[in-house]
Amino acid sequence: MSAPINFTFNGSTYSGEVGQSIAAALISQDQRVLRTTRFDEAPRSIFCGIGICFDCVVVVNGIANQRSCLVEITEGAVIVSKQ
Amino acid sequence: MQNPDAIVIGAGIVGACSALSLTNAGLRVLVVDRGSVASGTTGAGEGNILVSDKDPGPELTLALRSRDLWFDLQDDVGDSFELEAKGGVVVARSDDSALMTLADSQRMHGVTAQRVDSHELHSLEPYLHPDLHSGVFYPQDAQCQPMLAAAHILRTVIARGGAVISHAQVKKILSHDGVLHSISTTQGDFRAPIVINAAGTWAGEIAALAGSHLPIAPRKGFILVTEPTQHYIFHKVYDSDYVANVASSDADLQTSTVVEGTRSGTILIGASRERIGFDGSMNYDIVRTLAAQATSLFPVLRDVNLLRVYRGFRPYAPDHLPVVGEDAEIKGLWHSAGHEGAGIGLAPGSAELITQLITGKTTFMDPAAFAPARFARVSI
Amino acid sequence: MILVIGGGPAGLAAAVAIARNGQEVTILDSAPRAGGQYWRHRTRVDGYKSEKSAMYLQEVAQNPLIHFISGANVWSASRVKDRFAINYLVSGNELTITAQKLILATGAFDRSLPFAGWELPGVMTPGAAQSLLKGHGVLAGRRVIVAGTGPFLLPVATGIAAAGGTVVGLYEAQSPLRWALSPVALLLNPSKFAELLYYAKQVRKYRIRIQFGKGVTAFDTHSAVVSRLSSDLEVVAGSEEKIECDVVAVGWGFTPDVTLGGILGCAQKVDLDGTVIFNVDQNQRSSQKDIWIAGEATGIGGSDLALVEGEIAGLDCVGIGISPSLAFRKIRKTLFARALQKSYPVGNGWKKWSRNTTKICRCEEVSLQDIADSVTDLGAFDSRTAKLFTRAGMGLCQGRICSRNVSEIVAGLQGCQVSDNERIGYSNRPIATPISLGELSDGKSTK
Repeated sequence: MSAPINFTFNGSTYSGEVGQSIAAALISQDQRVLRTTRFDEAPRSIFCGIGICFDCVVVVNGIANQRSCLVEITEGAVIVSKQ
Repeated sequence: MQNPDAIVIGAGIVGACSALSLTNAGLRVLVVDRGSVASGTTGAGEGNILVSDKDPGPELTLALRSRDLWFDLQDDVGDSFELEAKGGVVVARSDDSALMTLADSQRMHGVTAQRVDSHELHSLEPYLHPDLHSGVFYPQDAQCQPMLAAAHILRTVIARGGAVISHAQVKKILSHDGVLHSISTTQGDFRAPIVINAAGTWAGEIAALAGSHLPIAPRKGFILVTEPTQHYIFHKVYDSDYVANVASSDADLQTSTVVEGTRSGTILIGASRERIGFDGSMNYDIVRTLAAQATSLFPVLRDVNLLRVYRGFRPYAPDHLPVVGEDAEIKGLWHSAGHEGAGIGLAPGSAELITQLITGKTTFMDPAAFAPARFARVSI
Repeated sequence: MILVIGGGPAGLAAAVAIARNGQEVTILDSAPRAGGQYWRHRTRVDGYKSEKSAMYLQEVAQNPLIHFISGANVWSASRVKDRFAINYLVSGNELTITAQKLILATGAFDRSLPFAGWELPGVMTPGAAQSLLKGHGVLAGRRVIVAGTGPFLLPVATGIAAAGGTVVGLYEAQSPLRWALSPVALLLNPSKFAELLYYAKQVRKYRIRIQFGKGVTAFDTHSAVVSRLSSDLEVVAGSEEKIECDVVAVGWGFTPDVTLGGILGCAQKVDLDGTVIFNVDQNQRSSQKDIWIAGEATGIGGSDLALVEGEIAGLDCVGIGISPSLAFRKIRKTLFARALQKSYPVGNGWKKWSRNTTKICRCEEVSLQDIADSVTDLGAFDSRTAKLFTRAGMGLCQGRICSRNVSEIVAGLQGCQVSDNERIGYSNRPIATPISLGELSDGKSTK
C-alpha cells in the first residue's frame, strides 16, 4: 500500500491514494460539491464520471476546466473550484 | 395571411429588419423562409455592427446610418439581443501607415477613429502582446446576438399584424408583363404587389425563379469558439489585415485576425474568406491559422481551449456592395441581399432604404450604388 | 500501419485478432489503463466472467506486436492521400500519428434524462458510480438508489453492495416480462441465462430490493421521489414515494460516440432506439475505405457483441476470412442486442419529470422554460435553432448530454418528430475534445 497523496482543494487539505481521480479522492472524504455554476452559482458534482459531461471541472495548479473525474491527484496539487 | 401588402423572402436579419421597417410604415407583411428564423447565414454570424472596416463610400454611409438604427431598434423591440456599443480596436502588426491613412479618410466621413499609441492601446486591451504599439480605436463599432435579434424583430412584426411562415420554400415567382404577381411556395400561394428578396446567400436562386439575374455567390468563413474563460478581451479586436481582405476578390483563402469576448464568457475568433462554393467541409489548417493569429495578438489565449468551430457562407456580390433596390425588369420585385460579412450591421439601414424607396419617401442616401440594375444582363 | 482507436472490448478484440495474425497494431485510448468503460478496473477484475477480460488485458500488456498509448484524447482526424492523420492530446500536448488502416471502437456513454433536481450533487449516471468504484475504489455514496433502465444497472448495484455500500433499491422502469418478446434471442444466447443467475444470486446475497415499473422522478439532496411509471415512462398519479438516499445513480441505456467516424466522413444512420450509429457491412467496413467500426458505434449491444465485432474488424483488416462460426456468433449476439433494445425502450413520459426551472442543458444552465419560450416566442423549430436562441448544447460538453433531450422536447412542443438529419446533426462535432489554442498554433499543417 503506497503512501497517501496530499493535495488542497479550495484551501483545505485532503488525501487520497495513488491512481485516484481528484473527484474520487474528494468524494471518498465526503467533499461532494466540486464547483458552482457560472450563471446561477448552483453546486455541481461528478455526473457522468467518464469525462463526457464536464460538470466536474476544477482548476488544477492554475489550469482551468480540468475534469476532476479523469485527472489523477498529485502530491501538492493546488485545486480550486474557481479562479 | 391573405393578400399581404408585401412579402419578404428570408427570415434572416435582413428579412427581419425589412419586415419590421415596412410594418412600421403601415404595411401588412408576410415573411416566408424555407427553413425557420435565422437558419441561413444569420445563424452563423458573429453579430458584427462595424464602421471601422469600411472605406469611405456608399457602404460606409449605409453602415453609419445602420449602426445608429440598431439602437433605435433596441428601443422599439426591446433589449433582448445583447446589443452593446463595444467599440473596436484595430491593431497594426507592423507598418501602421495604411491603417492611419484609412482612419484619416474615415474620420472625414463621419467615423470616430482615434489613433492610439502603445500606452493607450494596452490600456484598452491589457492582454495584447506587448510588442504591438499602434492602433486605432473605433468607439462606434457595436455587437449583438444576431439570431436573437432576428427572432425578436420578427416577433414584433407578428405582434403588429404581420405573419411569418417557416418551412415555406419558394418554388415560383410569377409576373405578368413585367409586373410582379404572386409567389408559389410549398406552404401555399401568396399574392402581393411587393416581394422583397432577402434570401442572403441564396438570393441569386430566388432571383432566377423570377427570371432575374443576381450574381450573389457564397464566401465561406469559419469561426472558432473557446470555452468560457475569465475576461481577457474587452472590445472587438482586429489586425489591419481585416480591411484589405474584405475588399479583395481573390478566390484563394484569406485570413485575418478578429477576436472578441462574449457575454457568456466564450471568445470568438475569426476570420477566413474562401470562395469554394457551398463546400461546408471542415478545414483544420484554417483552424490552426486562426488560432495562431489570435494567440499572436493575445498570448494569454494559448492556454484557453477551443471547444467548437462553425462555418457560414457570406452572400457576396462581385463588386463587394450590397444589392438594395427594385429589380431592373420586374416591377414590384425588390432585392435586399449580398451584404457579405456585414449583413448584421447593414440590415436596419438597408431596411430603411428599401422602405423609403417602396413608400416613395426621400431616401436618406443616394441608393444608386446598390441598384440591382448594375447586374442586369444586357439584352441583345 | 494499423491503428485502433478505443481500448474497450471491441478495440482490444480487434487488436488481439490482428496481433495473433502476426501484424503490428497500435491502440490509442483516452484512459490511463486499457479496458474501456466495461473493463476499466484499477486492481483485480471482479464481476461476472472476469477471466475473459483478464485474458484480453493480459495479451495487450504482453504481446510485443500490440502497442498501447494511454491517456490519448483524439481531437481531430483527416485523410491525407493514402493514409490517416490522427491528432491527439496527451496531458494537453498535441501529437500526431499516421495509419493506413483505422479501426474505430470509441464506445458509448450513459444516456441521461432530466428530472426535478437532477443537477444537484448526488445525482450521477450508473457509469459514474461504476467508475468511482471499479476505477478508483470509492463508493459513490452511503445510501445509493440505482435506477433507470437496462441490464447495466445490475452490475452497478451488486458492485456497490459487494463493496460494503448500501443499495437502498434498484428501480428498473420496464417489466422483465418484456424479454418474452424476444424468445429466439434468448434461446440462441444460453450464456445469458448463466449471467442472469449470477446476478440473481448476488442480488439475493446482498438483499438488494429490485422493483420494476418504477423510476426516480425527483431528487432533493437527501431523498429521492420514486414513482410508478407506465411502460411509456409516464408517472402514475399518486404513486410517488419519498426514499431517503444521498446518491441516485440513474441511466437510460447508452449513446454511442460517433464523433471521430463522423469527422472522417463515415456514413451514419439512426437506429431503432433513436441513437445515431454507423453503417457497416457484415465485416464491419464503414462507408470509408480502410476504416472499420466495431462495438457500440454500430449499434448498442453490450460487450459480447463488441468482442465479436472487434474480432471481425481485426481479421478483415488483415485480410483473414471470417469463419462461419464467428459469423454465427455475431448473428446470435446481434439478435440479443435487438432484444435488449426491445426490452428497455425509453418512451416520452420523461418530458414531464422536469419542473420549468429544471436545467435541461446542464453546462449552460438552460431551463425547460427557456427552451419552451424559444419555441413559442421565438419560433425555434429544431434543436439547432433552440440552441442558437438559448445556448443549449453550446457548453463544454458540446451537447453530448442534452442535445437529444432538447431535440425531443422541441419536437414535442412543435407536434412533430425529430428527423434523422437532425439526430445526425446533433451527434456530430468537428472538434472531438477541447484543445488549447496554443497547441493548435504550434501544430503543423497537414499539407
